[in-house]
Amino acid sequence: MKQNLIIGWLYPALMNIYGDRGNAIALAKRCEWRGIETETIMLDPGFSKENLKKCDILLMGGAQDKQQEAVAKDLFKKTETLQTMIEKGVPGLYICGAYQFLGKYYKEANGNIIKGLGIFDLYTENPGDTAKRLIGNAVFENNVFGKIIGFENHGGRTYLGADIQPFGKVIKGFGNNGRDNNEGAMYKNSFGTYLHGPILPKNPLFADYLVSKALGIKYKTEIVLKKLDDNLEQKARLAIAKRLSIGI
Amino acid sequence: MNFLILFLGKLISKISTILRLGNGSTWPGHIALGLNPNFVNQILKNSKTKIILVTGTNGKTTTAKLLQTIFEKNNQKVFLNSSGANLLNGIASSIILKSNFAGNLNFDFAIFEVDENTLPQITETIEPDFIIALNLFRDQLDRYGEINTIARNWKNAYEKLKKTQFILNADDPQIAYLGEGFDKKSRYFGLNDPKFEYKTQQHAADSILCPKCGTKLAYEAFYFSHLGKWKCDNCGLRRPTPSLENFNYYPLLGTYAIYDTLAAILTTQILGLTDDKIEEALRVFKPAFGRQEITEVEEKKVQLFLSKNPTSFNESLRTINAGNAKNLLIVLNDRIPDGTDVSWIWDIDFETLITKNTKLYLAGDRVYDLALRLKYAGINAPEENIFEDLESAVQKGLNETSLSEIFYILPTYSAMLETRKIITGKKIL
Repeated sequence: MKQNLIIGWLYPALMNIYGDRGNAIALAKRCEWRGIETETIMLDPGFSKENLKKCDILLMGGAQDKQQEAVAKDLFKKTETLQTMIEKGVPGLYICGAYQFLGKYYKEANGNIIKGLGIFDLYTENPGDTAKRLIGNAVFENNVFGKIIGFENHGGRTYLGADIQPFGKVIKGFGNNGRDNNEGAMYKNSFGTYLHGPILPKNPLFADYLVSKALGIKYKTEIVLKKLDDNLEQKARLAIAKRLSIGI
Repeated sequence: MNFLILFLGKLISKISTILRLGNGSTWPGHIALGLNPNFVNQILKNSKTKIILVTGTNGKTTTAKLLQTIFEKNNQKVFLNSSGANLLNGIASSIILKSNFAGNLNFDFAIFEVDENTLPQITETIEPDFIIALNLFRDQLDRYGEINTIARNWKNAYEKLKKTQFILNADDPQIAYLGEGFDKKSRYFGLNDPKFEYKTQQHAADSILCPKCGTKLAYEAFYFSHLGKWKCDNCGLRRPTPSLENFNYYPLLGTYAIYDTLAAILTTQILGLTDDKIEEALRVFKPAFGRQEITEVEEKKVQLFLSKNPTSFNESLRTINAGNAKNLLIVLNDRIPDGTDVSWIWDIDFETLITKNTKLYLAGDRVYDLALRLKYAGINAPEENIFEDLESAVQKGLNETSLSEIFYILPTYSAMLETRKIITGKKIL
């Protein structure tokens, strides 16, 4: 029987800044190249809980402030469903604004607190316009996936609580806050990160991990994915590694 | 004081030209403003020169060039801030070069291109006669911050300007919204032609939320990206009625260039030029460098389409497809003028816009990112056509282009300058 996966893309119309749709493309293509069928469900505002529950992998990107407000209003109605899925281990990738939103709160420069979903044990503070945005090519190290390469661009500084692990340790760039050397967060099979780039096409080990986990859960068996020709992925990684004077 | 500044400025400019330190375009201005922050304002106040600011993400240079052509063909004297020197320094430098030692500007029009992020800063100093606002797309977010912030800063700046006439794009909601509440000083251009319409939206869409109330906008038709016939079903904000929606003749290809042309035409109409006079001028228009500019190299035609963000890229691809492109070189750099983040290439609709019979060549600082993006769009550029060296890419493409074909090149900004240098053997900046 042909395997298939349902990719749930949360708010593709509103949370799609900085090329993050590349993550959805990468998952679908890497499945397609292995003969795994995929369907990508666009979870736009007003989507039903049933549609969300159907998904085997979740993706959510960053957005501009105005778009983020509209998303918050909608997603608060479905927090419980999302939380249950994350607790059950449904793989997910949450970038930038989405990553911050999974945390407890976002404190604006003027002290105003915007409530988050509270699923990840973390919070974010925006130090205001006087502090510089954290921008640039970035690399961090994860024990399983090795060096993860991307581009970060964020004003908010995120701090992790005791109940969550960092996604990796910063090698180049700023990471969560430019201070504690942590980048992103991982909880069960859910990953939050500041890295755009987009992250999945240039980090195929990580992309494949999400796919194999999702298949493993769906088909209740250990999955070993067919190897793909990642020559071009490797070249793109090497080009940046060379520029940043790091080995990969 | 200003006499001294003008003297010094002209001298520095001369020296840097002689020493070939680029053309020294912003240096004199930098020094002038250091000596007298009000320099620009003082010179402009004492002159009869009408000032036109052109702003927006895409199309500034082309629009400025269109205006220049129309004015000059109608015997008006014009000067521009050229070479992409977009800041106040650039304007000050232009003034130093173009005025006499007494600080008199003997010109009818001054046309300044202003980056979207610096517009509020410029209007603090200069009260222009016209502001032409073309569009607002995501571009170089790593430098400029998010477009909603830019739009808000513009709106604040506009409210302070008393005598300025605004020429606004009715089809871009954020731009059109700038004119809301300023009916008397706002005029609009827009498209109204089924031939250019799409019923669904392209991916690289930015402001699909109402700029006033934040509700998702309803569109009757799209022209490109988020430009179209829009309205808000919640607060009632809607596309204002344009004063100008079509014209007899357009000198450039592509929907985006038509908007630039309409903007230039509306401005010159308001200044009293007749349609006949405008059309006559447009018929002899030559594109600005890198913007659909055609160069003949080794008896072959090379056409450059500066493509600096998802929207301009999509529009460039659409335009060359209409010309049945056979040979296409894409050059992706990630230097400061290009934006250091190349994530945006994933927002280009390569999936639908690269046709099977187009032979691809790839180059630039981030050539492997580009090749990877195309791979995931299902387009595999042959390995021998992926170049780390731009010159080799240009040469191979040229060699494989026949005499009857056009070799199309889509470069980012710094890549355009580099490519152009290779093609023409002549330095621009």
